[in-house]
Amino acid sequence: CNSILDEQPRSIYTPDYFKTEKGVHGGLTGMYAHLRYIFGNAYFYNSTLTGTDEATWGASGSGGGFQIFDLSGAGLITASNSDASNLWFNTFPNINTANGVIENASAVGVSDALIAEARFFRAFDYFMLVQTFGGVPLDLGAGELKFNTSVARNSVRNTVPEVYTRAIFPDLLQAVANLPETGRVTGGVTKTLARLYLAKAYLTYAWWLENPNNIPTYPETDRTDPDGHNAQWYFQQAYDIATTAIDNPGPFGLVATYYDLHVGTNDRNKELLLYADHTQTSELYNGSSLSFGSGGDADNFAVWMLTWNYTALQSSKTSWASPQTVNSVQREAAQGLGRPWVRMAPPHGVFENTFADKENDARYDGTFSTSYRGNWPKAGVTNSFLYNANDLTVEPGDAILTFLDEVPADAIDYSNSVYKSNVGAGVLPGRADYVIAPNAFSRLVYPGLWKLGTYRTDNAGGLGQPNAANTRPFNIAKFSELYFVAAEAAVKGAATLPGKSAYDLINVIRARAGKWRWSNKENVEKIEDHSADVVAETPATIDINYILAERSREYYGEGYRWYDLVRTQKWEEIAGSYTICGTAVGDRTPVTVTRQIQITNYLRPVPQGQLDNMNVSIAEKDDYQNPGYRVNE
Amino acid sequence: IVLTFATITAAFAQLVVTGKVVDETGAGLPGASVLIKGTLTGTTTDADGRYSLEVSNSSSVLVYSFIGYSVVEITVGDRTVIDVDLVPNIQSLNEVIVVGYGTQRQEAVTGAVASVKGDVIREIPASNISQALQGRVAGVEMGQTSTKPGAPMQIRVRGSRSLLASNDPLIVLDGIPFAGSMNDIDPNSIKSVDILKDASATAIYGSRGANGVLLITTHQGQKGQKAQITYNGYYGVETIFAKYPMMNGQEFSALRAASAQKFTNTIDEADGTDTDWQDLIFEKGMITSHDLGVAGGTEKGRYYFGAGYFREEAVVPLQNFSRYSIRASIDQEINNYIKIGFNSTSNFSITNGNNSPAVGMALSRTPITNPYNPDGSMKEIVQEATSGAQWVPTNKRFRDLNDKYIDQTRAYGSYNTIFSEVKIPRVDGLKYRMNLGLNFRQSNSGSYTGQGVFSGVPTTVSTAATGNSLTTNWAVENLIMYDRTFADKHEVSAVLLYSAQQEKFNSSRVTARDIPSDAFQFYNLGRADGVITVNPSEQGYNQWGLVSYMGRVMYAYDERYMISATFRTDGSSRLAPGHKWHSYPAISVGWNIAKEQFMSTVGQINQLKLRVGYGETSNQSVNPYQTLGLLSTRPYNFGDATYSTGFYVSQLPNPSLGWEYSKTFNYGLDFRVFNNRLSGTIEYYVQNTKNVLLPVGLPTTSGVSSIIANMGETQNKGIELSLNGLILDDQDGWTWDIGFNLYANRNELVSLASGQTRDEGNWWFVGHPIDVIFDYENIGLWQQDDPHLSILEPGTASKPGMIKVKYTGTYNADGTPTRAITAADRQIMSMQSNFQGGFNTRVAYKGIDLSIVGIFKSGGLLNSTLYGSSGYLNNLNSRAGNNVRVDYWTPENTDARYPAPGGVGGDNPKYGSTLGYFDASYLKIRTITLGYNFKRSLLDKMGITNMRVYTTVQNPFVMFSPYHKESGMDPETNSYGNENAAVPLSQNLRRILTIGTNTPSTRNYLIGLNLTF
Repeated sequence: CNSILDEQPRSIYTPDYFKTEKGVHGGLTGMYAHLRYIFGNAYFYNSTLTGTDEATWGASGSGGGFQIFDLSGAGLITASNSDASNLWFNTFPNINTANGVIENASAVGVSDALIAEARFFRAFDYFMLVQTFGGVPLDLGAGELKFNTSVARNSVRNTVPEVYTRAIFPDLLQAVANLPETGRVTGGVTKTLARLYLAKAYLTYAWWLENPNNIPTYPETDRTDPDGHNAQWYFQQAYDIATTAIDNPGPFGLVATYYDLHVGTNDRNKELLLYADHTQTSELYNGSSLSFGSGGDADNFAVWMLTWNYTALQSSKTSWASPQTVNSVQREAAQGLGRPWVRMAPPHGVFENTFADKENDARYDGTFSTSYRGNWPKAGVTNSFLYNANDLTVEPGDAILTFLDEVPADAIDYSNSVYKSNVGAGVLPGRADYVIAPNAFSRLVYPGLWKLGTYRTDNAGGLGQPNAANTRPFNIAKFSELYFVAAEAAVKGAATLPGKSAYDLINVIRARAGKWRWSNKENVEKIEDHSADVVAETPATIDINYILAERSREYYGEGYRWYDLVRTQKWEEIAGSYTICGTAVGDRTPVTVTRQIQITNYLRPVPQGQLDNMNVSIAEKDDYQNPGYRVNE
Repeated sequence: IVLTFATITAAFAQLVVTGKVVDETGAGLPGASVLIKGTLTGTTTDADGRYSLEVSNSSSVLVYSFIGYSVVEITVGDRTVIDVDLVPNIQSLNEVIVVGYGTQRQEAVTGAVASVKGDVIREIPASNISQALQGRVAGVEMGQTSTKPGAPMQIRVRGSRSLLASNDPLIVLDGIPFAGSMNDIDPNSIKSVDILKDASATAIYGSRGANGVLLITTHQGQKGQKAQITYNGYYGVETIFAKYPMMNGQEFSALRAASAQKFTNTIDEADGTDTDWQDLIFEKGMITSHDLGVAGGTEKGRYYFGAGYFREEAVVPLQNFSRYSIRASIDQEINNYIKIGFNSTSNFSITNGNNSPAVGMALSRTPITNPYNPDGSMKEIVQEATSGAQWVPTNKRFRDLNDKYIDQTRAYGSYNTIFSEVKIPRVDGLKYRMNLGLNFRQSNSGSYTGQGVFSGVPTTVSTAATGNSLTTNWAVENLIMYDRTFADKHEVSAVLLYSAQQEKFNSSRVTARDIPSDAFQFYNLGRADGVITVNPSEQGYNQWGLVSYMGRVMYAYDERYMISATFRTDGSSRLAPGHKWHSYPAISVGWNIAKEQFMSTVGQINQLKLRVGYGETSNQSVNPYQTLGLLSTRPYNFGDATYSTGFYVSQLPNPSLGWEYSKTFNYGLDFRVFNNRLSGTIEYYVQNTKNVLLPVGLPTTSGVSSIIANMGETQNKGIELSLNGLILDDQDGWTWDIGFNLYANRNELVSLASGQTRDEGNWWFVGHPIDVIFDYENIGLWQQDDPHLSILEPGTASKPGMIKVKYTGTYNADGTPTRAITAADRQIMSMQSNFQGGFNTRVAYKGIDLSIVGIFKSGGLLNSTLYGSSGYLNNLNSRAGNNVRVDYWTPENTDARYPAPGGVGGDNPKYGSTLGYFDASYLKIRTITLGYNFKRSLLDKMGITNMRVYTTVQNPFVMFSPYHKESGMDPETNSYGNENAAVPLSQNLRRILTIGTNTPSTRNYLIGLNLTF
């Protein structure tokens, strides 16, 4: 009868499964999958961009986390409201999985290459954590970097140099040594990827050792390297590793044009070293609904934040003398359109400074949606043409609204007295499309983020599923960044190789930026090579500010910016103030806002959820928290 | 005096009176006593209930009595034939109570046991008995988990004790632990429900009885009874109790104008439009029930067959529940020693539309949206600000979906008990019994949503799903029972038990996309043109077993002193090896004070009994496999063609997971006074639960989210009072009785793991109840001249009109706060009520009776996701859908409860969750019933023995409810955990019942008929 008391689960896995070869494989897949919960999540995305020169809060982001992360005085970032917490919550379970795989893998006889994948992910997570929160625990409860299966209700934070020298560097060195050149799976981690992160970690740690603006670290520690090296040594290492990776690219390399790098048809291209993958072919494996995303978990919904509500645009079925208005640009699952959440907005500096060159440099056109085109037939509106600005007719596919590159010589009539755009856009004589000049871009109306836009092949000629989270992979690391890492290290004094000075490296990127294949703005093929013009604009002497500006041109809106500004300690200098118009329809007055960036903001708060679950005194919880975020101070 | 009287009457001439004494069903009552009042002369009725008695004169008064029935007195007058109806007396002294593995006279019961008769249950027509029992028994709380048709309630006997393990009581149907749900038992088939509340009473059921036991006894035939047919039926109309309090067009336009974000009207919205979407969607519902039963008996056997039909149609289109049930019960004596029998209940139920999106649509469409085209036709799609295109929901459109939509669950359950009983020859009172329970439950669910249905995008691909689950359960009980009375004064009853049971469950679910034809619905997912998915997290399997040994001895001396002692040992598969077994004792004593000699001089006291019990019980109700830890899965794609499933450790194994156990002291006093006219029970109990099974949330840095462990200690103590009074006892034809119960339970977490006193992550705090809300405390709104706004709520976004929460920090010398509001200011707010209870009253005059049943609750917290932030219906910024009608702050309206529109906060106002917390108090009339029993003289000619018609109104009104006052709604909860909210609640809130956007609560009007012939 005692067999009645025996248990045999038949539909779940228990942790013992990790001790099998298939379990190790499953653990590795879990590590790839964890990327989705961080990259593409709009709230984590908010923490990487809002408050930098790339983004401020948008009209629908007022009052909440988006405005708070802007640090423009609306409210304080706290342990309870911090959108950076997402990283904390999703990395530690993954680090433990990696610990388990690394511990169990050799016993079950899997290859060093597989173990190296786990090492890469452990290093990757610790690198993200150490940049975001400062020093973090290496011991999860079972000893340093050991698989924890015990009840640990306390935690002790290691220092920043400990995290780098005991976890990140050793893991990445082994990953470089043992990872294959070509990924085991589509999007699998490779030697080249490990080199990029090793170089970037060296670079970041070198900056930390140098600490030019005297930003405090936590837990408090001296800026000396346990391995006895100085900042310069690490800058050099960063340069050496990055250039080695450039010279040994394996299957990777730069895509011919910037447009081809980001167009949805060309996802998972050879320039992409790491991404959080998604698919429209399986809802289950996509990890997110294919028809309606509620914005959470594994949803890739970051791009909704920088998408303004173009669906409010109106044209008329009849002459504007007696209008019958209709929404002429409907919500569509297309790369330039997608679902509008209007939570974040690009300040004017993005258009005036970062993307000052909109003619030669294809990256402005390859980043933003600047022309919104009529798609009403897909919504069942049968009119073959509609009346738009100046009572001129527009056909499907024609521009309804254009965000102008420059302020035009002729004054724009923004009155909306006759031709009501419904979004406060204006009219220029002779043009059928409504227009808005760059000095009138506001928190409500601004160019959308084309590069991350929705792309699906199952729209069947209709509007598709614009409310689903994006089924494209969310890109995390690109081959191009090796050039930036090497260039930055060179600027910081690393000895350079022939033909690989900072100027040379940056111009590889800029030369590619001059190559056109398509114009999003005109919606036509545009095969032109403006490389020489773009390179001609490169200053002879590259400094950090130029590297940062160039990084923003290359990676605008991809979630790099806060980390770049914090690494180089240039946050306040570059993003201390910004200019933008207001939140209401028709707000066209640029307002300059000064941010209140505190020195303690260079580290994000440890999440309240971590502290709530720790079984220690309130004072100890405060001690665990980063300065500036303590609840009782 | 008696002697003198008798002598006098003897002087008069003798008369012979004959007649028949019948029970409430019209059947003859054998063995009833007929006595001439004031004398010792009398007789008893024969097998048919007939009697014959000589009386001295026409002024003699005959007293008719029978155990369990009210006494009737009739003056003889000039009649020689007197037929008498006896009606059951619920306060009868000698009522028999089912105590598990036997019955006991109520007088002899020593544990805390409450008994409810089937008639009382049927006073509230409902699909299941949990609704009918609400407010009827002190210490038994029924919490509504859903307003959908056929939804059962959450039952808590004397509060919650476990943090993770189940707090649901054990249901025992006709002696065998029941494997189905409350919904599988037709209330019409129930003869009585006995509820074991304290550990000394539940100990016989061991671990399964830790949360109380509901012993349900169904109708049986009687030996020697001729076949009797009963019919019970009712039909009713359901109307919405109260619409959800949403804004009308004018109010919404005003909110949009006041909102700082200035969302503009879409092309389908216009100020001045006023569309009531609830009117467009909701309809009248219907409830009906019909039951037919045949009961009878032979000299050596008895039988019962019954069939029932129940159907409820909700006010939400396409949402309904139907149940067909049959029941059979037979037992037969083979010879003088052997008896066998079986009992079988089967039912088939169909649930439709449980996942219908209609309610959400009714509440979220804006009232300024015009659903009509200029030509008067209905739009299919309307545009909403920020949320884009939306499907236009109307009642007709739902009804016209036909094949395009189905959401159905069909379930079949069969619960069977077979027993045999052998009297051991030559040992008087000793018998052996074996019970064999065989249970089977299968459920098949299927859903299909056609292309574009419910979606603002007409091309949205169709989806379908089908799922199956099968539960099989067996139980064997071997019992040796010994019942004997020695020397008239020593009653002994002993039971020895060995039992084993096992349950196996498995379920599967498959989903598919893009079904080529609506006709296929979910019936052939293989035809799908799109992806067919078998999600591993939707396939289930578990099996558990329990092995037990139990012994119980009950002894009573002279009906004055009673003792009951139980010892039980349980072994559970769910716990870790080495920790699977646990043993525990229980003992209780009773003293019938009223039977003592010294009480015989005290008049007016018919019963006075003191009971004291101590018992231990344990709880193993963690899900199977919790000791082994868990890997959670994460499906992932490598490119568009390669799929793989990833894992991570989400729960640690616990090789020492053992029993949670409770120690309970119970003190009870039962009394009956004033010639049994007033009776009642007072109970006090203290229950300490140790080694509480706990999912311990770990800090993220441990790499694992939780572990199930035995940690901590909880306590429940409480007081219960039940009173029943017979105010008028057939006085001039009037009868009036009143029942009342009141109880208060105090739940407290006594300790947590390793000396911890606050577990903020799990919302567990030593010294507080298990169910608390840990959140900021709303103390009003910030006003223009309030000091310290800029310190407590730093930032330019903070302004007057935002929610003000309690600050708990220190102050500087100048009186200014030293810091801003932080997480340290969160408060612990108890959900626990001060007291609750119910009342009922019945007034009868001749054949007419009127009864009222009510319930009440005082204090505690109610969480409404409608008003709180998780519902997204009270974000006060008009960004997309409609808003709950609330009085919000404006510079001109500063004494509002709700914050200024479009103020600080993201999608919801800052601290918006606090807007959902209300005082949970209410008093509510559940039913009012007016009935008429036809005169038997009239019925006899038609061959009918009993006929009753009645009309009932359910849920007529609510009083004293702050939530009702605010919303007009029913203050009872209608959702469990994170159901029916726009965004999932925090994990900690999921164990708490809430009011969400479920099917609206209804007010029902019924007419019914009961027939016996």
